[in-house]
Amino acid sequence: MVCLRTITAVLAVFFLFQVPAVSAEVESPTAQLKPTLQQLVDILADPSLEGKDNKKKRRDLIMSTISKRFDFREMSKRVLGPTWRDISEQERQTFTTQMTKLLENNYIGQLENYSGETVEYVGERVKDDRAQVSTLIENKGNKYPVHYIMNMDSDKWMVYDINIEGVSLIRNYRAEFKSILRRQSFDGLIQTLREKNASFEQGG
Amino acid sequence: MKRIILLFMLVGLAATPAIAVDDAGGEVQADTPNLLENSYLDDYEDTREEFYTIEEINDPLEPVNRVLFQFNDRLYFWVLKPVKTGYSYVLPAELRESLGNFFNNLSAPIRLINNLLQGRFRDAGVVLSRFVINSTAGVYGLADVALQEYNLEPRLADFGQTLGFYGIGEGLYIVWPLLGPSNIRHSVGLVGDRLVSPVSYMDMTSDQSVLYYGVNRINNLSLNPGVYEEIKKFSLDPYVAARQSFFDFRRNVVKRAGNQETDF
Repeated sequence: MVCLRTITAVLAVFFLFQVPAVSAEVESPTAQLKPTLQQLVDILADPSLEGKDNKKKRRDLIMSTISKRFDFREMSKRVLGPTWRDISEQERQTFTTQMTKLLENNYIGQLENYSGETVEYVGERVKDDRAQVSTLIENKGNKYPVHYIMNMDSDKWMVYDINIEGVSLIRNYRAEFKSILRRQSFDGLIQTLREKNASFEQGG
Repeated sequence: MKRIILLFMLVGLAATPAIAVDDAGGEVQADTPNLLENSYLDDYEDTREEFYTIEEINDPLEPVNRVLFQFNDRLYFWVLKPVKTGYSYVLPAELRESLGNFFNNLSAPIRLINNLLQGRFRDAGVVLSRFVINSTAGVYGLADVALQEYNLEPRLADFGQTLGFYGIGEGLYIVWPLLGPSNIRHSVGLVGDRLVSPVSYMDMTSDQSVLYYGVNRINNLSLNPGVYEEIKKFSLDPYVAARQSFFDFRRNVVKRAGNQETDF
């Protein structure tokens, strides 16, 4: 009896140590990013989702796929830069909601131009809790380097910037917002954002 | 600038060759730039001053530039785009691609000289091989046989890049009518490239020159559609977005020259 209990205890201890050891084995940023991009390609290539009637359904599917791998709040924070420190939590949320819409529209718009380009994974860098996954997109013999910048959020690598041929998504928006904030108040910026997002709803 | 725009053709998969993963923690891989060093990508909590001060682009001419930007915008939507649409409708894509190859082949001397100036002799050799193969087997450069049959990829180089490679500063931002975003160094580069381009020495009347550069431009637009439109559609201030994209793109081009193996 005692013997059995001892074994149980030993096993329990063994598993206790074993469990964290296993979960510490986090998948690499590339391994985490790949399935997301693959899912997006599958959605774009799915004939049952083509056509005008399915546009909304397809967009929703793309969105739910992206939101699992893209950290829109982190992007919003970085796009705003120092101003993020000066605004209230409520303003941050309003901004994040509007910024997410803009980024969604931007990204989905780009995705809808997709015409069978291939992606090669050419490298990965990890520095503490941040990572860079480098890819090469090939289209008609031309190759374009695209880098995904990610950070670690409880075992999940989340994308917070995309860099294409040196042009960074967040740095670009940040330069724009900085210029706008010099001329307008924060509320004015939110208003401009809302108007921009409304223009996508009208134009489809 | 036009090339930027596959802006976010981020997707696609299929080919997934072995990934060169470096588990040592961020060194190695000379061929991919280390973007994690950029301060705007740092941890937000980082108190370093650079994080909060994004580098300013030198643009004292902004009011004038904005007017010219607006002019180019009108030019694009009122002239270039309608012409491009008609052009693409009349000429099949294959033909436009061949023409693109042809124009591209004619500018080989620019790439040859600048690769040489940057000490990239191996790349210069590739440029020369591509030119010879495409001009002969490719029939006046209409087909990119060098790429298709010999897997010789283009080796881009221009004079603006060469100047940057030798540490010459960018100078202030300029928006040229018709040509679009530029800066002093880039503009000098364009003039330099024009000087070594054989097209400049062809015996053409000014009408013929306009036709040549016009067709070149429209053909190029038809092959890389929507670049400017994308920028405009997704920015709150397209002027700033185009300016930032231009500088980042060109800085990357110069940085790439610096990273290339020189054969000195």
